[in-house]
Amino acid sequence: MNGSLHESSQYAVWLLSSVCLLGMAPCHANDDVPTETDYLQDLPVVLSASRLNQPLSESPNAVTVIDRGMIKASGFRNLPDVFRLVPGMFVDNSDGHTPIVAYHGSTDEFSRRMQVLVDGRSVYLPPFSNVVWGDIPLHIDDIERIEVVRGPAAASHGANSFQGVINIITRDAGSAHGASVSVTKGDGGVSDVTAHVGRAGADLDYRITLGYRADDGLDTNVVNDNRTARLANLRASYRPTGSDSIDFQLGYNEGIWGMGIGAGRKSDPFRDTSVYSNFEQIAWTRVLPQGDEFKLQYYHMYRHLTDPGGLAPAFGATLIPPDHTIVHRDDVELQHTQQLGADNRLVWGGGMRVDSADSPLSLKVRQEISQSRIFAHDEWRVSPAAVLNVGAMFEKDGMGHANTSPRASLNYHFTPQHTVRVGTSVAYRSPAMVEEKGNTPGEFLARGGLRPEKIHSREIGYLGEFSTLGLTVDARGFYDRISDVIYLDPQGPLIPTLKPYSFHNLMGTTEKGFEGTLKYRWQDRNSLIFNYARLSVDCTITGTLTRVAAPLLPPPFGALAGSLLQGKLQEIANTCANIGTWNSGSVLLTQQLRHDVLFSAGYYHQSPLPVMNTSEATTMRRVDMRIAKSLDKSKMYSGGEIAFVVQNAFQSGYAEYSTVPQTNFIKLFNRRAYLTATLNF
Amino acid sequence: MLTLLRRSIFSLPAPARHLATALVAGFLLFICAASPAQAAQLSVTVVLSENTGAYREFSDALRESLLKRNITPVIVEDPARPVPNSGLVIGVGMKAATAVAASSAPAVLNVLVPKSGHEKLLRDFPRRASSRNYSAIFLDQPIGRQVALIKAALPDKQYVGVLYSAPPVELAQLRREMAEHRLGLYEQMISRELSLHDALQELLKTSEVLLALPDAGIYNSSTIRNILLATYRGGIPVIGFSSAFVKAGALCAVFSTPVQLAAQADILINKFSEAQTLPHAQYPQEFEVAVNEQVARSLGLRIKSAAELHDETKAFERNKP
Repeated sequence: MNGSLHESSQYAVWLLSSVCLLGMAPCHANDDVPTETDYLQDLPVVLSASRLNQPLSESPNAVTVIDRGMIKASGFRNLPDVFRLVPGMFVDNSDGHTPIVAYHGSTDEFSRRMQVLVDGRSVYLPPFSNVVWGDIPLHIDDIERIEVVRGPAAASHGANSFQGVINIITRDAGSAHGASVSVTKGDGGVSDVTAHVGRAGADLDYRITLGYRADDGLDTNVVNDNRTARLANLRASYRPTGSDSIDFQLGYNEGIWGMGIGAGRKSDPFRDTSVYSNFEQIAWTRVLPQGDEFKLQYYHMYRHLTDPGGLAPAFGATLIPPDHTIVHRDDVELQHTQQLGADNRLVWGGGMRVDSADSPLSLKVRQEISQSRIFAHDEWRVSPAAVLNVGAMFEKDGMGHANTSPRASLNYHFTPQHTVRVGTSVAYRSPAMVEEKGNTPGEFLARGGLRPEKIHSREIGYLGEFSTLGLTVDARGFYDRISDVIYLDPQGPLIPTLKPYSFHNLMGTTEKGFEGTLKYRWQDRNSLIFNYARLSVDCTITGTLTRVAAPLLPPPFGALAGSLLQGKLQEIANTCANIGTWNSGSVLLTQQLRHDVLFSAGYYHQSPLPVMNTSEATTMRRVDMRIAKSLDKSKMYSGGEIAFVVQNAFQSGYAEYSTVPQTNFIKLFNRRAYLTATLNF
Repeated sequence: MLTLLRRSIFSLPAPARHLATALVAGFLLFICAASPAQAAQLSVTVVLSENTGAYREFSDALRESLLKRNITPVIVEDPARPVPNSGLVIGVGMKAATAVAASSAPAVLNVLVPKSGHEKLLRDFPRRASSRNYSAIFLDQPIGRQVALIKAALPDKQYVGVLYSAPPVELAQLRREMAEHRLGLYEQMISRELSLHDALQELLKTSEVLLALPDAGIYNSSTIRNILLATYRGGIPVIGFSSAFVKAGALCAVFSTPVQLAAQADILINKFSEAQTLPHAQYPQEFEVAVNEQVARSLGLRIKSAAELHDETKAFERNKP
């Protein structure tokens, strides 16, 4: 009798624990016999070395961290705008769906001197080596935080970590428990709907985002840059054992982008292009008992753009030919994080990548490039006050170059609150596919044989914490030399501006300056963030323009061609020198007005653009404001928020980036407002 | 008694006397060899819940120190086996302690059992509750020690959060200790209405530290990941209750090792052999502090070394009125 009772209670415990395992019912301790297992059980290493952020005061580079709170407070609806909160970052819009984000400026609207990673997935894509921001299947709400590395960092972030790295970390699958729906409506055709759903379980977590976004872009009379997009993404994390976890991601984005410039340039007719992109990513992480970690990751990305072309109603009726571009990227990487004693940590690994692009209009024939890389980074705590970071990446870029990108920095804590960092690093940017192999009849004809651009950066930084004042300071001075800058080579038999263009290692630049961030926090949720950057650029011509042999020309014409070439070169040198100095800054204020009302305001400033192919440069000043009221729990929903945002609040509009004179048709960023309502369930 | 014996021997005839003398000498020899052992010859039986890990570590350490005093303990590696009904029986872990409590062992010391587990046994076996020879060394640390660790490790933090699925027995004491140290305490109880995720999110809004109290409904190998990640994202350090917890990502913890508990058990066994009674059930005397320096660094916390924290925690305890 007694025995059978005992057995049945054992059976009940077994049943209960199996129910617990299935995650079907809440499991309370008071249902169980208290045992020693709580104390004695082995637990998986959750905060493993690769999960833990290196504190900013020990990082080998200057890093700006933008968290969810800042993104929210900024009121930005488009991800690229968020980078206005990074000192030294240039942000502008070529049109409503083509933003430009470039650290320390760029030579043209295809900013390609930065690595951009989303959960370790590199999203700068061939054939232009640029980041198509609007195409990433990522909602701004999916972001947990963004780390912007200011300075070359190939040793830890891979190829193309040239002037800097934007490292976007999305929310963990387990962090979005529940569901939420969000609707945004506003000026400029802004109309967004988003739904998030997620669940954190015992060994499986997932989150799903579905979104629809639409807007009219910039001033619709000037450019056709309206956009609609649908996106979906899934992140799931499965833990078959305590030491293994498999992170799985899928994403998809599809949309219609307007194309064409109206008034003033009838050669680019209004038309709709369709864009489609997707990715699949899988990463397996095994944490070893000592806390060491292996990570194996694979991803595939796909992008497809279709441009129907059209007949421009200009005189002479220019025909814009139909175009399509299909891009694939496959990447596999193995990484081992190893704790070598209490004071030394090593991360090393290697990877391979295959990029292919089929773009008849820019490449004529399909191109495929296979790259491979190995890297190692060591963090050595030489003494309690000094941290030495040393690392390097060796890559074969698939275009005949083998580059080694080393980095070393020493962080010295004079006191735990005051740290000085000195560092030096070298990185390379391999030529973009179009730069090396581009072939657009009548426009571009790449001659090939380009050398990779090289940057050598030196910096000294200071990080200070004045905890009694609630103040933190991050400042750095830098001196960067970039050599072999690849630029348009307006080759021509007689008139040097005659098309087709090629690309050439033409310039060397020296960029030096200062940038800093000041953060002041008071009470619980109030903060003031102030960013400032001053950059001065010197530029020298180090290459020559290509002179295409014209054997039929009599000698005097040849001499004339030569002098014209010289003239053109001088023109480029002048444009380059015109960049001179550049100032930019931002201020973000967040103030809790009531326990449920949060106000924030941002001021953004950029002096005229350091981009070489802009025709006119203007100063950008803009104030954005946001006020949000959080909603309490009710029977219908478990909380929410209503937020009202005004962008560019105090002026009617400012001119955006343009490659053509903006006299007749200025691309304006108008004042605009929108309202977002979010409900959580 | 000896004189009496002698006298009666001397009264015997000579041959018989020789024989008797030899017999007595032999008997005395036997007594002499045996009697010192009888005073300390306590039979100690150690019943293990499992013959692995911490249980084994405890029994090895205890065996070693008992052997030094000529006591050879009997190690029973399976709690299903019969328990001897004499001497002192050590129940290692709840499974063994339950089997021992049900047996007729006259004197019992439970080790590697949580306080709540020991108390449950007292409820389930009332005759044990009334026995002076039923005691335990708990696996849990006294709540004051944990509060002392918070004070030592994070002197700037004021608001401490705790999560539980049912009010823990030490709750009243925890509240008292917190008030004594001028620390604010935020509590969240998970229920059908409030999921662990929501309770934790609520707590993270107000607390600067999460003090983890052992609660299988909250801290187990399947929930630990999301708890540690959520607190880490919120920049909130976790005070754990085991070295595994610290390795997983808690900032620090105070705990006692099986070897430390074995040393304490050895002292109690020694007292028992002298006084034939066991002291009251008690918390561990000796403890260790583990610190996850990488987590501290990553959270931007400057934390003292484990050794310093150990000494400070001890000093806090000593200076307590």
